[in-house]
Amino acid sequence: MSVLGCSRHVMKQASIYRAYATTTSYVPPAADISEAPSGPHQKLKPGSPSFYTGRQNYQDQIRGLESAANLSRLALKKMHLLPLPKFAESSLPPAQTAWKSKITLGGMIGEKLNTSRYRKVTSILNEIDELRRIAQAAGQQTLEESIADVVSMFEREDKETVLARGRRKPVKFDEWGRSYTVGKRKTSSARVWIIPVKAPPPPVSSEAGPMEAEDHAAEAEVTNEVTLGPNPNHSSEPPIPVTTSTILVNGSPLADYFQHPADRERIVRPFKIAGLLGAYNVFALVRGGGTTGQSGALSQGIAKGLAAHVPEVQEILRKSKLLRRDPRMVERKKTGRAKARKAYAWVKR
Amino acid sequence: MSCAANFRKQISKGLTCSPRHGLLAKRCYSTPQDSQEKVLQNEDDWHTLQETRARQKHIMDRFSRLGSTQSRDNTWQPHHGLHKPPPPKDLTLSSLVAAGAHFGHSSSLMNPNFLPYSYGTRAGITIIDLDSTLPLLRRAVDVTRAIAARDGTIVFVGTRPDLRRVVNKAAERMGSNAYSVGERWLPGTLTNKVQLFGPEVAQTQRVVPDLVILLNPLANMHVIRECAISHVPTIGIIDSNVDPRIVLYPIPANDESTRTAELVAGVLSIAGKEGLERFREQQAAAQAASQRSQRRRS
Repeated sequence: MSVLGCSRHVMKQASIYRAYATTTSYVPPAADISEAPSGPHQKLKPGSPSFYTGRQNYQDQIRGLESAANLSRLALKKMHLLPLPKFAESSLPPAQTAWKSKITLGGMIGEKLNTSRYRKVTSILNEIDELRRIAQAAGQQTLEESIADVVSMFEREDKETVLARGRRKPVKFDEWGRSYTVGKRKTSSARVWIIPVKAPPPPVSSEAGPMEAEDHAAEAEVTNEVTLGPNPNHSSEPPIPVTTSTILVNGSPLADYFQHPADRERIVRPFKIAGLLGAYNVFALVRGGGTTGQSGALSQGIAKGLAAHVPEVQEILRKSKLLRRDPRMVERKKTGRAKARKAYAWVKR
Repeated sequence: MSCAANFRKQISKGLTCSPRHGLLAKRCYSTPQDSQEKVLQNEDDWHTLQETRARQKHIMDRFSRLGSTQSRDNTWQPHHGLHKPPPPKDLTLSSLVAAGAHFGHSSSLMNPNFLPYSYGTRAGITIIDLDSTLPLLRRAVDVTRAIAARDGTIVFVGTRPDLRRVVNKAAERMGSNAYSVGERWLPGTLTNKVQLFGPEVAQTQRVVPDLVILLNPLANMHVIRECAISHVPTIGIIDSNVDPRIVLYPIPANDESTRTAELVAGVLSIAGKEGLERFREQQAAAQAASQRSQRRRS
């Protein structure tokens, strides 16, 4: 006991000479409740739920578009139009969309869009447009209009112009029923006017039929009714009336302008393939190039005109490549060669 | 599970069926005639298609009343995980198991600090002890509710493509005071707020939130660092390869499972909603009391 009392005395002595500075116990500042906030918050809360993404406007726009898409899907599902069977997908009108550019859309949303974000926006817009097309095909006008309201905000102002860019303009006919088309080959260009030959009246009398329609004032009147002679094999058959057509190139008949049979054949080929030999009169003005180029240009112009007059013939003319503008042009001469491909004579040393 | 297997079989047959429309909607529409190639040329063809489908659906609805009492409305559907999460008081161990919350990562990758929360090993992976998960989840629920009851702002962070819908839905469910980050968190959102949001917003608005809930904390370590610097409490789904001490309130569960994330986010958002209701009640009561005292004075 005396040992313990001794040690306690030692401890008490030691405590007078403390090694630490403070006498009170340490309280960390976080536990100091006098500084705890009380009462309502002074600052406002951020408004948008996407505030912490850092791209608030873009995220809100995406959310809005996704909710519009969901609502449209719900409405179509109620009308039993969704889920769409596979055969109906092919019956939908094709997608014809032209969305605003990345910069314009960024300005609209209020935030700069990079390519991936722009693609995300346009992909959702394409989905909504597909739903609109389903409503349109099924004749649901009110639903289609409400979806179109959403989508039209994001379409370009010059949408029609942009969509019409790649399309071929339809060939127009004037008041006399003539078509005007243009054909090109190498450096030649041909302007072609085609008019159908008037069918001859039924052969009641033996006199010649009425005149054809005129192409231009310079043309002479030509009867286009020709009766073939009696067929020696079938002498009892009546003669078959056949029409002939006239082809004028730069004012001259075809045979005068093109002496070479290959050129003549090239020009008559569209008629042969379409099965319209003798059915149409042609007047053409050709410029530039030589005989091959001019005859090729004429061929394309005539094919285009025939396709305009008789649309059923377009398929066969397209397959035979007569509607195609032949892209082959004269290749340029290169340095180090005599001609485009011809090389100079090779010398060993 | 048989519903899901059936659904997968139908998809493999090449039928168009969006998962959202469910199985029965497609089954009641498909007939032998539909498989034939038909071109719908005009509006009348479309109307015929609509009428045929409406008739088929009507027949299915009539016959659904016979036989089994189970229907689409009173059975669990795959979309219920996101749209109809259980309230916190109905949270059970079996719902966690059904969501696959007990699957951890490979045992060789287990973080040594995760040991208290692991049940054992099976098939080379760590099985998470759900007996420890459930009380920790309930604790997180209480924290969320209490913070919301004091008008605190809560941010749900889930930066994977499948978690985007989950966090957006959770924030939407809570309404005000809830925010979501479904895509990459911009570094400096909390620590560099003046540059990111501008001086006006940084001074006038509450940029620093009161709680951050992370559905994939391992991929968002910079978020955790920013929250630590800004003194923001964090709740996070901790998988077996993660140190549980990185967040303030860990929830040991499978962070790779979408259904687990839907369950956790759903439960926490419902708790937050309850907290907000309590806050509004308190505000209304305080307002009524102040009005009464004003009347007494006048």
